[in-house]
Amino acid sequence: MTRMIARFRDGSSFDLTLVALALAYLFVFAALPMLYTVVMSVQKIDMFTLGTLARPFVGLRNYAHVLAMPVAWRVATNTAIFVVLSVVLQLVIGLVLAIYFRQDFPGASTLRGLFLAGWVMPALVVGAIWRWLLAGDFGVVNFLLGSLGLIKGHIFWISDPHVALYSLIIANVWLGIPFNMLLLSVGLAAIPADVYEAASLDGASAIQRFLFVTLPMMRATLGAVLSLSIIFTMQQYDLVAALTQGGPSNASNVAQYWSWQLSFETYDIAGGSVVAVVMILVVILVAILYVRSTRLEQQA
Amino acid sequence: MKRSLLLGIGLVITGLYLFPLYWMYVSALKSSQDLFAYPPHFLPHHIVWTVGQVFVQHEMATYLTNSFLIAGGVTVICVVLGTGCARVLARYRNRWVDVALFAVLMTQVLPSSLMVMPLFVGFSEAGLLRTPRLAVILAQVAKVLPFYIVLTRASLSQIPAELELAAMVDGASRIGAFFRIILPLARNGILVTGILVFLQSFGEYVYARSMISQDDLQTATVGLSAFLGPNTSDWNGMMTYSAIYVTPILIVFVLLQRRIVSGLTAGALK
Repeated sequence: MTRMIARFRDGSSFDLTLVALALAYLFVFAALPMLYTVVMSVQKIDMFTLGTLARPFVGLRNYAHVLAMPVAWRVATNTAIFVVLSVVLQLVIGLVLAIYFRQDFPGASTLRGLFLAGWVMPALVVGAIWRWLLAGDFGVVNFLLGSLGLIKGHIFWISDPHVALYSLIIANVWLGIPFNMLLLSVGLAAIPADVYEAASLDGASAIQRFLFVTLPMMRATLGAVLSLSIIFTMQQYDLVAALTQGGPSNASNVAQYWSWQLSFETYDIAGGSVVAVVMILVVILVAILYVRSTRLEQQA
Repeated sequence: MKRSLLLGIGLVITGLYLFPLYWMYVSALKSSQDLFAYPPHFLPHHIVWTVGQVFVQHEMATYLTNSFLIAGGVTVICVVLGTGCARVLARYRNRWVDVALFAVLMTQVLPSSLMVMPLFVGFSEAGLLRTPRLAVILAQVAKVLPFYIVLTRASLSQIPAELELAAMVDGASRIGAFFRIILPLARNGILVTGILVFLQSFGEYVYARSMISQDDLQTATVGLSAFLGPNTSDWNGMMTYSAIYVTPILIVFVLLQRRIVSGLTAGALK
């Protein structure tokens, strides 16, 4: 017994305990629930069987049931548009801003830091603010676009089924820009200055330097930032709840919100679990790509 | 000359980006007529101070207290559970550490809105929903603990292992070296990461909304969502509520901005 205590105090057992505690917590409160979702997605669940674990097994019938819903394809397309457009816009704007604030002028790093104000705010509050900015009648965005001559009349950002999804994307891009910009600045800072000097001496123009020096040297960072933005965008629930609630009539619904709606609003827990399982698989696939690209970067 | 031009454009870009924040504060201070003026006034004509009224009417004291308790609980559990784990993962470099890190990263990416259903069912089976704020804390810790471990690991790996070894040569136990050498050196990193965890949990929404049914136990996010129905019209109340809610967050952010930036950049890509 005393030997065990001594080993705990001085040997590796102490280290092992520290790691095991945290991992055990994550196992109970993250891994187990995830497995439980998979289990629920192949069970018949109703109000009577909710309290027990032993529910009737129904195979893939829940999956067929969800795929047969007419909104399923709508939601799948919406999710794809939401993720792709958000991620591309965040990356492009983030990269432009990161390059701009790399330049040498007073206050550059302070200004860059101020962008993170968007990142520390609760996403639900950001959604509420955009709800007001994008309001159809009195919203300031409609006014600004109108006075620049870009639109005639008013766009009903939230209630028009053709644009509701895009107002979600606008708010989500705003929310994601700081993080993209910050990580890309780190990547830019890691490129040694003499590479640029050598390229300039060889007569490369600014555009050529960007295409043939910056982009290739940033490949690993771009990969990591891209996968992180995809993951964050697929986690975005609060903005949907604040702006459109998936409406009007699912025109702006995305999978991570739909899954919640199925489970908590229509009590179709099996259906909600099916959507969750599919989403979790996609997220984990992206996360594996992320880990691989950070590996590449460490080796480089 | 060129540098001040760059600064000028930089200020304009930052101003454009932060315009939504400005608009929130201005709208919170406007009178109703002012608010519905079209074209909108970019400066308020009459400042109407409704902060006290909104704060009392929407029971913000209760909501903010609940958010504060939940965020505080999450932060304490995270720091207690995560710091040691981060230290060990920073200190060794082998296959098992890689496996552990990979497992931690994988739990970080799971979306809360998908995890809430199994957690809800599991918690209700375990009777945890009778203490709903504790249930939210437990769920939210699983969400932010990986983030805490990854960032703290990055700041801890800057402390050389030799310091710990030297302390042990001088007769300290490993536990003693951890508490008396490593923790004091890592204090700043732990503080900043802890604050980030706190801020994230202070704005938590989906767990609170799904697991807490009693109104007097609800968080400030759920209180805000009362404004967000399909036919919103109380813009002034909504923006005042938002402003009261985020001002303390923004003050903390401005005070710690430099450290938050360096803490995030150190951890995010390693």
